[in-house]
Amino acid sequence: MNEPAILIRLDDPPRTYRPGQSLSGQYRLESVEGDPIRAVEVSVLRYTEGKGEQDLAVHEFWRRDNDSGDLVDPRRPERFSTTLPPSPLSYDGQIIQIRWCVRVRAFLSRGRELVAEKPFRLGDGA
Amino acid sequence: MDDAAESCPNPFSASRIGPAKGGFLFPPGQSVEGLVDRLGAAAWRGQIVGPHGSGKSTLLAALLAALGRAGRRSLAVALHDHQRRLPRDFLAAARSGRFDLLAVDGYEQLGRWHRFLLGRLCRPRRGQLGRCRLGLVVTCHRPVGLPELFRTAVDPPLAWRVAGRLQEGFPPLVTFQDVADRLAAHHGDLRETLFDLYDLFARRRGP
Amino acid sequence: MARNFRYFEKKRGHRRTGSRTLGSLGEAIFFALLLVLGCAGIVAGFVWLVIPEWRVHHGFVETTCLVLQKKLGEKEGDGGTLYRPEIQIEYEVHGIQHYRSTYDINYDGARAYSSDRDAAAAALEPFEKGRAYPCWYDPSQPDVAVVVRGYQGWLWLVFLVPGSFVAIGAGGLLYTLLRWGKSAERRAAMVQRAQPIELFDIDRPGETRLPNIPDLSDITSSPGTKLAYRLPLSHSPGWTLLGLAAACLLWNGSVSYFIVSAVRAYLAGQPDWLLTLFILPFLAIGIALVVCFVRQLVVATAVGPTLVEISDHPLLPGGEYRLLVSQSGRLNMRSLEVWLACREEATYRQGTNARTETRQVRRLPVFRREALAILPGEPFQAECSVCVPAGAMHSFRADHNEIDWSLVVRGEVVNRQAFERAFPVIVHPLSGASTPGSGGP
Repeated sequence: MNEPAILIRLDDPPRTYRPGQSLSGQYRLESVEGDPIRAVEVSVLRYTEGKGEQDLAVHEFWRRDNDSGDLVDPRRPERFSTTLPPSPLSYDGQIIQIRWCVRVRAFLSRGRELVAEKPFRLGDGA
Repeated sequence: MDDAAESCPNPFSASRIGPAKGGFLFPPGQSVEGLVDRLGAAAWRGQIVGPHGSGKSTLLAALLAALGRAGRRSLAVALHDHQRRLPRDFLAAARSGRFDLLAVDGYEQLGRWHRFLLGRLCRPRRGQLGRCRLGLVVTCHRPVGLPELFRTAVDPPLAWRVAGRLQEGFPPLVTFQDVADRLAAHHGDLRETLFDLYDLFARRRGP
Repeated sequence: MARNFRYFEKKRGHRRTGSRTLGSLGEAIFFALLLVLGCAGIVAGFVWLVIPEWRVHHGFVETTCLVLQKKLGEKEGDGGTLYRPEIQIEYEVHGIQHYRSTYDINYDGARAYSSDRDAAAAALEPFEKGRAYPCWYDPSQPDVAVVVRGYQGWLWLVFLVPGSFVAIGAGGLLYTLLRWGKSAERRAAMVQRAQPIELFDIDRPGETRLPNIPDLSDITSSPGTKLAYRLPLSHSPGWTLLGLAAACLLWNGSVSYFIVSAVRAYLAGQPDWLLTLFILPFLAIGIALVVCFVRQLVVATAVGPTLVEISDHPLLPGGEYRLLVSQSGRLNMRSLEVWLACREEATYRQGTNARTETRQVRRLPVFRREALAILPGEPFQAECSVCVPAGAMHSFRADHNEIDWSLVVRGEVVNRQAFERAFPVIVHPLSGASTPGSGGP
């Protein structure tokens, strides 16, 4: 039996997204039959990497929760879409990197969680 | 480059080397469960002693997680920057009776008064020989009078195990000799060694 | 991962658990207390030391007295016998004869006595029994009279300590008030909020919210004389000087009391070697502080202000901007150069340590001139242009990580320490404005 997993796919992803551009895609839960999904959270966020402590900020956040009536059907892909902000841009420095990604977190029964990320680049395109 | 490596192209990035990441690597024959047993035999009081960057905070995090799995509720505080006082809400929570054990990371920084307060919170109850009202585990650079649970120290083989585990899934640009040289240069401080390895990996990987 | 333990982490440095307003208030109260103590000390010094001497000079009435007797008064003190000169005089005020033992205005106070027997005896020398001398009496209390008047030189040393308190208190209070409310969180929140609504503010098209970009107001609040903006210094040498001056005053003021005691004991022929040995290291530190302060003062006064003006701000990648660099002072320089620098700063906090690492990632030469002499009143000025590379990363600020740009001016001075001054600038992403700068007005 396959391990449960989350698959994230972006719609026609360019090499680099531009500020103000629409980021859209879908996610799907695999191999979670028989394991009730209590909630799913989707966030578009940016975080730092490097030699300093991680700074994380969420640009957009959605939550689908069985308790509030948003039934999560694992067989059906769910879509998301947002307009990307003007900053901060993705960056590869010497001791600081700035990364953007779509992160999906699924809350299963018995306190288990599944997490998956799909990175993307946000740039001026200069 | 796969998604994980693209998210974090340097295996020695700060986000991968904190105490909650990766877990503590025990010497052969030792385990976190054994540490829990040793703590229980010492009436739930103990100290983790070791020099800077030798993994005391990492070991404490692993110990607290194991205690949680064993059903013991712990309350922990990490002291930074010559902080000489315990946070007020920490003391209030400690007195609430909801916890079985207190953990103080950086115990030596506490002033005398707060060490006294902590000692009073964790003193044995009357009539119950050897049993503490609250357990107490601390990390320190020098012994502070509690039963010694573990003495952390980093040698080149251990540093290489840590670096090797971090480097899994990445190009093997850092060698054992690199790790040993930098560990010697930093007098056994694994944290500073890993920061040096960050720069070394970045240089060898190239732009 | 579920956890059965709660982790308290009290943050320091960039993050705080308490109220910043309360913290600033606490600082202000501390410096205000120092200021009040210093003022109280100065006032007390004037009331008890200076004013009585002044009154003798300006309020007392001169008359003639007859010296009946002179002797060396003695009393036992904690450190041995203490002495004072005592002159018994007779004088007349409005037909009433007054008899009194006196010397100067401090005669009845604790400061009349000293351990210096020879000095006290020497004070009696000018007076002879049976001869007439001028004396001065208090018209409101004719019983009070002196035969000697004059300000004591060491008196002013007493004002060093309260003076240093006033300097530190006033300086610290001013600094706290200037910083009040301008926290890093507030600056970041201002950037993330919509532009402030001002009654007469003209809408500037193309401006958008820019998360994690530092605030512009510190830089754009100062107009230039020839170009649009005058850039502020990242670190004013004035505060360094003020801090050093305060440290000098406080340290040397405190040490001077012991030095005076030791010197007087030596001059009295009873050197206190223990006291002398004790104060030697403190004296050395005091001298070092003075030397450091004088060096900084020489640098600050000789080097003079460095001014940088820029034609437009914020900067954009690919943009070209005009600069005006002005350097004044009295300098014989090997070189003066300007470059555009980008710096990364990352803070990592773990265990009991906090470590901050800074890395200069770009250094783009802008201007260089060699072998120039700058005369007082004739500042050196140069116009040049700076290009921000296309694709350059914008400025970035978060709790633990920063990317900063600045224009750095470095001067190599003949026979003197080189100086370097940094002027922060902010680079926006291209998406933050319509077009890159093209030279401005």
